[in-house]
Amino acid sequence: MTMDTIFLAAANPAAGEFAREFGFNAKLIFAQILNFGILAFLLYRFAIKPIAATLDERQQKIADGLQYAEEMKAQLAAATRERDEKIKEAAADAQRILTESREQSKEMIEKKTQEAAAQAEAIIRKATEATEQERKKMLSDVRQEVARLVVATSSKVLSRDLSDAEKSTFSESAAKELANN
Amino acid sequence: MKRDKKITQLAKKLVELSKDNGVVTEAKVSEVLAGLKQAKHRHHLTVLKSFLGYLRREVALQTAVVATPGALSAAALKEIEANYTKIYGRPISAVTTQDTSLIAGVRVRVGDDVYDASVAGRLQRLAENVH
Repeated sequence: MTMDTIFLAAANPAAGEFAREFGFNAKLIFAQILNFGILAFLLYRFAIKPIAATLDERQQKIADGLQYAEEMKAQLAAATRERDEKIKEAAADAQRILTESREQSKEMIEKKTQEAAAQAEAIIRKATEATEQERKKMLSDVRQEVARLVVATSSKVLSRDLSDAEKSTFSESAAKELANN
Repeated sequence: MKRDKKITQLAKKLVELSKDNGVVTEAKVSEVLAGLKQAKHRHHLTVLKSFLGYLRREVALQTAVVATPGALSAAALKEIEANYTKIYGRPISAVTTQDTSLIAGVRVRVGDDVYDASVAGRLQRLAENVH
């Protein structure tokens, strides 16, 4: 039997007998309903509502936590992507630096080789020039010495071998030469 | 400084007075010296020294010193005098000096100019041209 049937029986006077047979008391029911309402209100006010608030708060915290976790997850993913990108960039930079270093070292080796060749060439050229100058100086010294010896010898020979008459004749000729200049 | 300039000018003037027809002669120099002695110049010693210096220079310019190891004929000397008189445009007189180091030939010096036609000079030039 449902409650609707009971209420209909209570409302219907004809059914009052029926209700009494079953111990139905309207005041008691009302009082019980009132008590239940008060109890329900008190329960709702002091138990269910705080609990609900606590549950909502916890639910909110859980939602916040989940959201935070999602955000953290997203941030982690972003950080991971960023890290991967940076690693890639670093790898690219390292490769570029390595390539540049190789090129630079290659250029430096070529430059140093060229410099060494130029220095060697300069040293050889200087040595050749010094040798040539030394040879010329030696040749000049020899010529000077030979000329000095020739002049000295010629002077001695001419002084000794030329007679006074020959010297006089030469002097007269030289005087005429100067006089006719 | 001013006094030196005046003395120099006086010495040069005395040299000009010592010339006869553009040639410094002993007679003229004697006259100048006599006049200077009579004038009793205040700085006569300085004037005389300056006069001597300019006189030597003038005589050197008028003299062809002919160096030769032996004797040279008078005709050759005359020819030299005539030639250098013509070249320098002033009377040049030749004097001879003996220099055996020349071996043979002559070397003429007129003032600061030297004309060499000696054997020693030619050998020296030959040696210089070798190197």
